[in-house]
Amino acid sequence: MNHTGTLLKENILSSFDDIHVDVVDEQRVSVKCKKNLVIAVLSYLKRSGYNHLVLISCVDWIKDNELELVYIISAYTEESEKGKMNILVKTRITRDKPELHTVIDVFENAEPYERELHELYGIHFKGHPRLTPLFLEREYEIPPFRKDFDTRKYVQEVFDQIPFVEDKKGGK
Amino acid sequence: MRELELYFGPQHLGMIGNFSITLNVEGDRIVKATANPGFLHRGFEKLMEQRTWIQNFPLVCRINVVEPDHMELMYAMAVEKLAGIEVPERAQYVRSIYLELARIGSHLFGLWAYANMLGFDTVANWAMYHRDLILDLFEELTGGRVYHIYIWPGGVRRDFPEGFKDKIINTLHTIGSCVPDYDNTFFNNHIFYKRAINIGKITHEEAKRMGAVGQVLRATGMKQDIRKIEPYAAYDQVDWEIPVRTDGDAYSRIWVVRDEMIESVHMIFKLLDKMPKGEVYNKIPNPFKWNIPNKETYVRCESSRGELGLYLVSNGEDKPYRAHFRTPSYNHGLTILEKALENESIADVGNIMISLYITAPEIDR
Repeated sequence: MNHTGTLLKENILSSFDDIHVDVVDEQRVSVKCKKNLVIAVLSYLKRSGYNHLVLISCVDWIKDNELELVYIISAYTEESEKGKMNILVKTRITRDKPELHTVIDVFENAEPYERELHELYGIHFKGHPRLTPLFLEREYEIPPFRKDFDTRKYVQEVFDQIPFVEDKKGGK
Repeated sequence: MRELELYFGPQHLGMIGNFSITLNVEGDRIVKATANPGFLHRGFEKLMEQRTWIQNFPLVCRINVVEPDHMELMYAMAVEKLAGIEVPERAQYVRSIYLELARIGSHLFGLWAYANMLGFDTVANWAMYHRDLILDLFEELTGGRVYHIYIWPGGVRRDFPEGFKDKIINTLHTIGSCVPDYDNTFFNNHIFYKRAINIGKITHEEAKRMGAVGQVLRATGMKQDIRKIEPYAAYDQVDWEIPVRTDGDAYSRIWVVRDEMIESVHMIFKLLDKMPKGEVYNKIPNPFKWNIPNKETYVRCESSRGELGLYLVSNGEDKPYRAHFRTPSYNHGLTILEKALENESIADVGNIMISLYITAPEIDR
């Protein structure tokens, strides 16, 4: 198995309790942890040289009633071994009142990602300086990227109610 | 002096693309800039969850208008990784050549935008014309000019037609023969130098802290390129250099773009020489009954703007469960731009924005 991945796995396992590390292949390592450990894990990775937050994503696992946050971390480096590695740090939070602490203190560029997830998944990030709308222009009862948001029904309820101009003009 | 709020875009003449920046200005100095995206939010990632794996190809290429080909590659690579499909060697070369052509086209488009904004109309028109020559090549190869849907899981849709190699070489020679003209009129022009030097400066530390990739990072002196770090397609089969500059201002960024175009042309010649014979695609399962195993993956490539990635999750069904594109303009446009605009003059907003190579469709998705 590849050296960098296994070494990283050992290091993470020796530094944290209650954490699950999986070396997927030569370039990917997946870390699963509780939500209160996220900041500690991310700062640990940053100290170890993995200093680039690539993406914060979210997956709605509606059957488990959980949202899965995925932080993808890589390294700014010209070393080939370390540069290849992408670490996926995952944590699950409940769907009903999703709340998590922001990671802006660790990675400054997390700001727009968290703003986007707040808007599209309704996750509240504690300590975030501006959780204002980013892309959308309307209010939604269910955040639109969740699995239970029915796009078809929404379109029928909202846009189909707007009358056509032809009807007003009286004939076609 | 009184502080005023100024809306720069989406209808502002200096704005290229559907993007808006709210500026707080004192006189003509910018006190605070707030990026305001969303004018092109089409919800593609949500729509992708409702279409089968193959039906998503016409969608993904429309995410970024300027360079649809890297989006296709990302999606095809992610599907290949999830489903365990191999790509033949010739297809890897075809992909690399095709993607480098796309990179040159996209850079010429970028050069058009930048030169146009600075008032170099002649150079802008040359760049647009030369991009059109590349679109002609794409039209012959794929049937489409802007959106090609050429890259496919397991390879590419079709092989190069007869005589296509010579056509690529001729087109690149036509464009290459104009490099001295571009240099004399634009890149070595003192007006460009005076407008761009020390404008929108970002130090190496700031660039790393704020998640810069691509030219923005390479203009601060770091040799970072996914094609070298994690080679995909046939990029590890030929020798090539990563162009770098050290100043981190608009001038350095545009020069990195220029050097990259020339490097891409050389790379295409090398790839064409080494190209093996053989098949260009492996058969994939029946797309109407194609279920992909319950897995997730993150793939990345170097688009013409920097690191482009795709986080793709499958739950074992015939549609993606979740797709999330990591686009280079996202951090450039929403984090770095706001910092880079502080204390600059209103006249330089377009200059900084286009030199950071921001495209709005990529941010909004």
